[in-house]
Amino acid sequence: MTTQSLPSPAPTPNYAIQAARRARRQALTGYTLVAPSLLVVALLIIYPAAGSVIRSVIVYNNGVATFSLQRYADFFNNPISMQNLGFTLSITLLTLAFLFLVCFPLALYLRFSNSRIASAVQLLALFPLFVPAIILAYALIRFFITRGVFQTLINGVGIASYSMPIQKPAGIIIGLVWDNLPFTILILTAGLRQIDDALLESARDVGASNTQIFFRIILPLMQRPALIVFSLNFMGLFGSYTLPYLLGPAAPQMMGVYMQRTLGDFLDTSAAETQAVISFIICAAAGFVYVWSVSRQRKGER
Amino acid sequence: MATLTAPQDTSGLPTFRVLARRSFAAFLRREGFGLFALIGLLIFILGPMMSVIFWAFADRWRYPSLVPQVWAWQNEAEPWRFWTETFSRADILRGLPLSIGLATIVTGLSMLICLPAAYAFARFRFPGRQLFLLSFLTTNAFPRLGLYVTISVVFYQLRLMGTVPGVVLIQLVNTLLLMIWIPTAAFQGVDRALEEAGLDVGASPRRVFFQITLPLVLPALSAAVLLTFVGTFYEAQGAFIIGIPNVRTLPVIMYTLIENQVVAQYGAIVSLVLWVPSLFMLMFANRLLRGGYLTAGFGV
Repeated sequence: MTTQSLPSPAPTPNYAIQAARRARRQALTGYTLVAPSLLVVALLIIYPAAGSVIRSVIVYNNGVATFSLQRYADFFNNPISMQNLGFTLSITLLTLAFLFLVCFPLALYLRFSNSRIASAVQLLALFPLFVPAIILAYALIRFFITRGVFQTLINGVGIASYSMPIQKPAGIIIGLVWDNLPFTILILTAGLRQIDDALLESARDVGASNTQIFFRIILPLMQRPALIVFSLNFMGLFGSYTLPYLLGPAAPQMMGVYMQRTLGDFLDTSAAETQAVISFIICAAAGFVYVWSVSRQRKGER
Repeated sequence: MATLTAPQDTSGLPTFRVLARRSFAAFLRREGFGLFALIGLLIFILGPMMSVIFWAFADRWRYPSLVPQVWAWQNEAEPWRFWTETFSRADILRGLPLSIGLATIVTGLSMLICLPAAYAFARFRFPGRQLFLLSFLTTNAFPRLGLYVTISVVFYQLRLMGTVPGVVLIQLVNTLLLMIWIPTAAFQGVDRALEEAGLDVGASPRRVFFQITLPLVLPALSAAVLLTFVGTFYEAQGAFIIGIPNVRTLPVIMYTLIENQVVAQYGAIVSLVLWVPSLFMLMFANRLLRGGYLTAGFGV
């Protein structure tokens, strides 16, 4: 029996050829099926973005293209654009700080409490997922406007003076925190749930206090979720448009609003492109952190 | 510790009142933060939403009152007058079908392009597969408005500005990541042994796909389609930058209504109508959250 079932040496190369042919056919089908979607990425993301980057460093002298950083010099010498850039960065970082301040305690609470109040808190904190930004902007205006609901509420607890945050930087921050609350909480609680209960129990068994557990176990393990929250939110906040446009002051403007105005109202495509490329570069750092941490995780899953 | 003190309490038989006070103190210690968070969230999350809902059904609402003085149906002469006025505005009458139509076209196109690709990513081995899969992250890796500005420079040259095809294309970009990643993960999750068992008992590959594979991935596919449709329906920034002034979807009209807010009710009523798809999605919230679909697009 053993002698019969032993493969004769002749067919082996045939199998190899067949397998190679099958692999090639599979690859060909694979490429055909993924091609349209990759084409969309190439034509609608890579090509326009690369074009803008290239055009932003080229000037034409009598029809001859030469390398020049003139457009960037224009941007950085313009007090308005510099003010807008600084404003965007500070709003982005302030919003991130507030988001962590609000969401980290909430996520910790949700991780370690199973009470009915905790499920109500979770429900409310995730509710903004189902409120589009444009409706949110209108709702916040109606709520916080002078002689609106919020003023009536704080009058009720005896505070008489009120100045509305709408059309001020505070309005943008309130809106952006509201809008990004669920995502931040989802990522942070997902990270906290990956921390095994057994790990915390065993730390407690060997006499670790709650503070020690927090600083020595929870915080280090929260680095990756915190990194994802920071980098993704940074990009989202930096490039936000709807909420800053509708809730913020007329000046200074956040970069999204500034770009739209430069393009749509002043029809200055080259200046708008330069502003876009500058925001790409600033967000590239955050994007790199994000792609790196995601791809590292996906590799870990394989 | 709690297990140690519990038997003592029962043997000592404290009065009901003492027990109630003690448990309330314990409740506060345990849930103090939760209560604080709950009240804060109730005010800041539900407060704004309630004011929109009240405004939509208000005929007259003056400060200082927490509810409208006259509701829409209480105006004897002209009940629901703001609803009638809102829905006789030409821009709103055009915008609603346009929004629904655009979201349908974009979702359909996205399915057509992405679902076969997702199947290929999950099932076929080819060089560059992992890199291509990651390349869809670029749709999230640019600050939105910056990307729209660079795309509109190209669209100016192609004369796609202010046209429906231009808006379709820009909204399509936003759908790719979800429509590729969620189905890819779903197809990868199907146990190949089930399909092979089907083939072994003589089913055709087509029958195996439609009767075994498809039912298994259907929940994930429907989640992707639902999220894409709702996301596209609310997409305002791209439509605003590319579509203005000819193509004005309902969310784009909201910009104008908010900017020159003459009558508070118009914006509130349009907000309420706009909100319907999101409320529909809210019904599936639990399933979407448990499946991890809402965060899938972020690659987490």
